[in-house]
Amino acid sequence: MSTADLTSDAARRPFSGRRARLGDLILQGVAGAATLGATALVVLIAWKVVDGSRLSLSKYGLGFIGHVAWNPVTGREVYGAASFLFGTAVTSLGALLLAAPLAMGIALFLTELAPRWIQAPVTALVETLAAIPSVVLGLWGILVLGPVLRDHVEPALHGALGFIPLFGPATVGSNVFNAILILTIMILPIVSSISRELFLGVPHELKEGALGLGVTRWEMVRGVMFPYARGGVAAALILGLGRAVGEAIAVTQVIGGFVGIQWNLFSPGDTLASRIAAQYQGATSNLEVSSLIYLALILLVFSLIVNVVAQVIVRRVARKQGLAR
Amino acid sequence: MPKYGSYIRTTVALGSAAILAAVAVSGAGAAPAKNKDVTITGAGSTFVAPLVSAWIPAVGSAFGYTLQYSAVGSGAGIASITARTVDFGASDAPLSPDQFTSCNGCIQIPWALAATSVFYNLPGVKNLLHMDGPTLADIFLGKIKTWDDPAIKKLNPGVNLPSTAITIAHRSDGSGTTFNFTDYLAKVSPAWQSAVGTGTAVNWPTGIGGKGSSGVAAIVSQTPGAIGYADVAYALHNHLSYFAMKNRAGKFTVPALKGILAAALSQTKPNSDGSLSIVDPPASKKYANAYPISTYTYVIVPVQTSKAHELKQLISWAVTHGQTFGPKLVFQPLPLPVVQFDEKAVKQIHS
Repeated sequence: MSTADLTSDAARRPFSGRRARLGDLILQGVAGAATLGATALVVLIAWKVVDGSRLSLSKYGLGFIGHVAWNPVTGREVYGAASFLFGTAVTSLGALLLAAPLAMGIALFLTELAPRWIQAPVTALVETLAAIPSVVLGLWGILVLGPVLRDHVEPALHGALGFIPLFGPATVGSNVFNAILILTIMILPIVSSISRELFLGVPHELKEGALGLGVTRWEMVRGVMFPYARGGVAAALILGLGRAVGEAIAVTQVIGGFVGIQWNLFSPGDTLASRIAAQYQGATSNLEVSSLIYLALILLVFSLIVNVVAQVIVRRVARKQGLAR
Repeated sequence: MPKYGSYIRTTVALGSAAILAAVAVSGAGAAPAKNKDVTITGAGSTFVAPLVSAWIPAVGSAFGYTLQYSAVGSGAGIASITARTVDFGASDAPLSPDQFTSCNGCIQIPWALAATSVFYNLPGVKNLLHMDGPTLADIFLGKIKTWDDPAIKKLNPGVNLPSTAITIAHRSDGSGTTFNFTDYLAKVSPAWQSAVGTGTAVNWPTGIGGKGSSGVAAIVSQTPGAIGYADVAYALHNHLSYFAMKNRAGKFTVPALKGILAAALSQTKPNSDGSLSIVDPPASKKYANAYPISTYTYVIVPVQTSKAHELKQLISWAVTHGQTFGPKLVFQPLPLPVVQFDEKAVKQIHS
């Protein structure tokens, strides 16, 4: 070890003496082991998933990703991921599209508009949404939300916007739209509570300075708060997207488990995570098990891409802000 | 194949804590005296769970050991016995060849006999509706779309059927009930056989999938005009109206003990792998009362096990004395030839 290392090492350590050094060693060991463990776990899971999907990978190759099929019947087995990829993209993007403005609204209301006495209880209530088990939310989706959507909301949307293929005729309560709404409810608390923290972090001088210049409240929000919190909000949305992409049980309950690509949001569909959750335990052949693990591999890669994109966005926005200041 | 087994093992290891917790509750207070250190654990089919639950106290007092059963679903039950985290598995569908290979030295023994009901939600129609196999297959193929279709009207003369659209509810997860149901449709309809086939999960041409019997029942109860299927005990318990099904003899029968027994008598010799299909019995006076969507459900045990003595005792008891607990739960006691087959099969188990 060089002397430079020793001095910098000592500088990081506020205490001297034997005991402190022992404590430091323990801290370093524990923290290091935790980090190493987490990293190793991800690598091991990734390895297991690749290994498990080998049979399906060698049989279908990358064509699996673009193929619409899922037939586990013995002698007619054929598998493909396309309809589940489509369903995952539609449900998670749909949920994000609905959750983003709602979450911004909640966060702004709680930081800027609401009277102080209301802020704490409402914040707590919104965050309680995150504590509802997804199975319960899914059941509510079938029993309560589904019939309301089918009988009132979806026919109204079809009547008004029926020229867009997304809003076709409504027949059943368990469908892609129901799944989108359930996912929206699930990601709302994450996105809104992170956004709220970010809005709270906007310096007072900036806000008061803007208001002092005579802008309206909305102009202040648009011109000061949004740009300031932009990077963080983007990261919060990506976190929410990750949650929506990976949610399995609640989606399985309400989406209707249909194989095929349909643009009508009011028809049943399926997602990657939901298909794995529904069929993994009952899978009867090695190829089916392997194909389900292949779906998991696609999900893993997808999540990785989402994470990387999120980090790039956050870094870019942070750099821009640095230049602006 | 060993590879398959290792994934199962991982899954099962993850779930085992939950299973243990569930099991601890269900088995509590069951065993007096004798072998009270011995515990026989099982996992699988929810279909057979009411019957096995009824057995628990009786097994406790008869043999003194504790029987624990977790109703985690047939697929998970097969996974558990493959990984040997339980002493026996229970499944409503016979093992597939791959599952047999993975399970490495397992045998399946038919140990309970029941039926799948096809239920519907049609507000305003009070009659017990009639249905036959080919029509049911056409409905599930999406060829028949409304309740006032001529084919359904013909089966139900005098009933005022509405023009309500039919919504099909099926299982989205793999299920022994789906196996029984599609086994039946494939036997009665060449169109179904060629387009879809038989399996615990199939490529449904139409309809919406629900998770578990409860998911299917929820869709049916929330959707006027819907048709779904589940084991008969489940339908009875939840007050769902089900069809009287037309059998080959031309008679409309409901899923009750008499109908299940008649169906079972049509085929009492299990295949070499222990499986036995009794759907759609042939036209004969002898099976005139047969309910055509009846099914056996199976216990799966490794041939070589350290608890051979207890498992032999348990299964022999289950297929004989245990059957007396069945009728109350709409499980028809096994016909004698099947009991004899089972007792012979049990002898293969050794330590």
